Amino acid sequence: MSITRRSALGLIAATGAASLAMPNVARGATGRVVVIGGGFGGATAAKYLKLRSPGLAVTLIEPAEMFYTCPFSNLYLGGLWDFAAIGQGYDLLRSDYGVEIVHDRAETVDTAARTLRLGGGAELGYDALVMSPGIDMRWDALAGYGEAAAEKAPHAWKAGPQTQLLRAQLEAMPDGGTFVMVAPDNPFRCPPGPYERASLVANYFKAHKPASKVLILDAKDAFSKQARFTDGWSTLYGDMIEWVSRSNDGKVVRVDADALEVETEFGQRIRADVLNVIPPQRAGLIADRAGLTNESGWVPVNPATFEAVAAPGVFVIGDATIAAPMPKSGFAANAQGKVVAANIVAMLEGREPPAPAWLNTCYSLVGPEYGISVVGVYRLIDGAIAEVPGSGGVSPASGGPEFRAREAANTFGWYHAITNDIWGTVW
Amino acid sequence: MPNGEGPLPTRRSALALAGAAALLPVLVRRAVAQGEAPWWQGVETARALVGDAVPSTEGITIDLPYLSEDGTSIALGVAVDRPMTPESYVESLHVHALKNPAPEVADYFFSPLSGRAEIATRIRINETMPVGVIARVSTGEVIVAEREILIVTIGCLTNAATYATTDIMRTRVRVPDRFLPGVPAEITTLINHPMETGLRTTLAGDVIPKNIVTRFLASINFATVFEARFRSSVAVNPYLRFFIAPPQSGELVLRWEEDSGLAAIERRPIVVG
Repeated sequence: MSITRRSALGLIAATGAASLAMPNVARGATGRVVVIGGGFGGATAAKYLKLRSPGLAVTLIEPAEMFYTCPFSNLYLGGLWDFAAIGQGYDLLRSDYGVEIVHDRAETVDTAARTLRLGGGAELGYDALVMSPGIDMRWDALAGYGEAAAEKAPHAWKAGPQTQLLRAQLEAMPDGGTFVMVAPDNPFRCPPGPYERASLVANYFKAHKPASKVLILDAKDAFSKQARFTDGWSTLYGDMIEWVSRSNDGKVVRVDADALEVETEFGQRIRADVLNVIPPQRAGLIADRAGLTNESGWVPVNPATFEAVAAPGVFVIGDATIAAPMPKSGFAANAQGKVVAANIVAMLEGREPPAPAWLNTCYSLVGPEYGISVVGVYRLIDGAIAEVPGSGGVSPASGGPEFRAREAANTFGWYHAITNDIWGTVW
Repeated sequence: MPNGEGPLPTRRSALALAGAAALLPVLVRRAVAQGEAPWWQGVETARALVGDAVPSTEGITIDLPYLSEDGTSIALGVAVDRPMTPESYVESLHVHALKNPAPEVADYFFSPLSGRAEIATRIRINETMPVGVIARVSTGEVIVAEREILIVTIGCLTNAATYATTDIMRTRVRVPDRFLPGVPAEITTLINHPMETGLRTTLAGDVIPKNIVTRFLASINFATVFEARFRSSVAVNPYLRFFIAPPQSGELVLRWEEDSGLAAIERRPIVVG
């Protein structure tokens, strides 16, 4: 069967029309939209669905009562922020926007019957489903690195107890120790994230453990904003941070979490005092269970609507999707959440969805007063997501200290603004 | 940007292709369904390799990512499921990237002492395209296979490393400490080299001369057990994994040759038993 946007539209429009035919229904879109996942993508979609069409019943399924953001978790790891500062709650989505919040886990989705089952046993039906499941680790991808190993060598690539464990290890590490980070090959959540983490750990070491080292063992030969990061590292931290590329034998093939030792492709054994292993990743498990992923482990989507190719009517957004050239970032998920909310409301009202546009900025702090960024604006061009020519770019090489300080201020401004936009957090 | 002028992946080419990328898997499947000519008939060297044989299509596994966010260095694995005995073994394996400026990527030559007809390397892919593989068996059998890869450059990434390297001709090798007699085990190799395609120009417009590693040889006790020939589409810092199945202890000699005539050599003891 060929999957077209038209057929999906037809299905949902029919549902909407049926609801409209019922008595005692307010004007505008009606029906039930279920959103799985209360992170950057899902919480955005839930809020903007209600904002655009208050008559919709919107249910957000999220196991955690407090969502800790990956963005800015590196500030916590570097001792700059408290953990509580990156926690976002759902009270405002409930009280101000009327989103029904269910703190449970989506266990299975039947996309044909349009139902899902929760961990607590409840079954929900939906007219449209938004899934923003984030990532899960590929526990079978790196020899010696499974869930038990992560309790000794944390990944800290989903903010939460793993992040707190890594912070505690950094605090306990004696001066003169080596923090070893194992960085994955593409694609993975937040391309500049490992390098911001290395930066802010170095910033912490510089103040508190100045004889210590940061060693990045990378499965790649290049990384996001590389030239800006390496400039910043030498300016702020001298030679404290060492990056080993894949071609220089930086690819780790085995982890011994008990010994805090890793083995590289060409057989070097490297011991860490604190070991942070960021393993290969895939779409959050529920996407797999719903049959939406392909052999890559990620979810192919129709670029125009972000409906899963495998299941029209199921809108998948955020890190779980194959949305290249948009990166796997919280900002991108936020932009996709807004577009998907507009699409769903249009479809339920029987209108054509508006032409989408997406924006992404990846800010990174190299130091508390040293920010860098990469910006991209995306549109649908010839049926595919494409970066608008000349729209974005990376921070200029020529930016002096004032420019970097301004970008650092913008980084904080961005976090305040986006958490306010999504969860209503007031700073 | 070091690769801004290069023929190999640039932001511009990746973006221009994004539109096609979403549709291609469907188109390829449709082409096969409609009985269009197989890919190898469109590539002169591939046609010569197949010759008069009626190629089989079962037995080759191509390991490629579904999508790459950076076409400059894509991990490729190829395995041929055939016996490796003196009576019948896979003689050679040929990799083609069908839409690269030159489709020929590399050729690999095995011997019964290879133990397994399997390689892993890293290649350059200019845009979304099929990768085609041909295997020739000593019995005369020819096997063909293909697999599609999508290339879409991610806004957050840079691909500055297309040609970037240091310590040119520095080699790295990993050999198992011990072999069991006749049981294939893997050798991992890498040589630092920019693999200049000769298709690139400087900002001033001067052509950067072609300069690549062209040949790799592995021998045990003076007998060649494995050979590879590289072309411009092998990625910077040529990486190669292959198998050997030595019957007895000896010395493994690995030799890389550059197009200038320069060579690098590594010698490793082989301990069997």
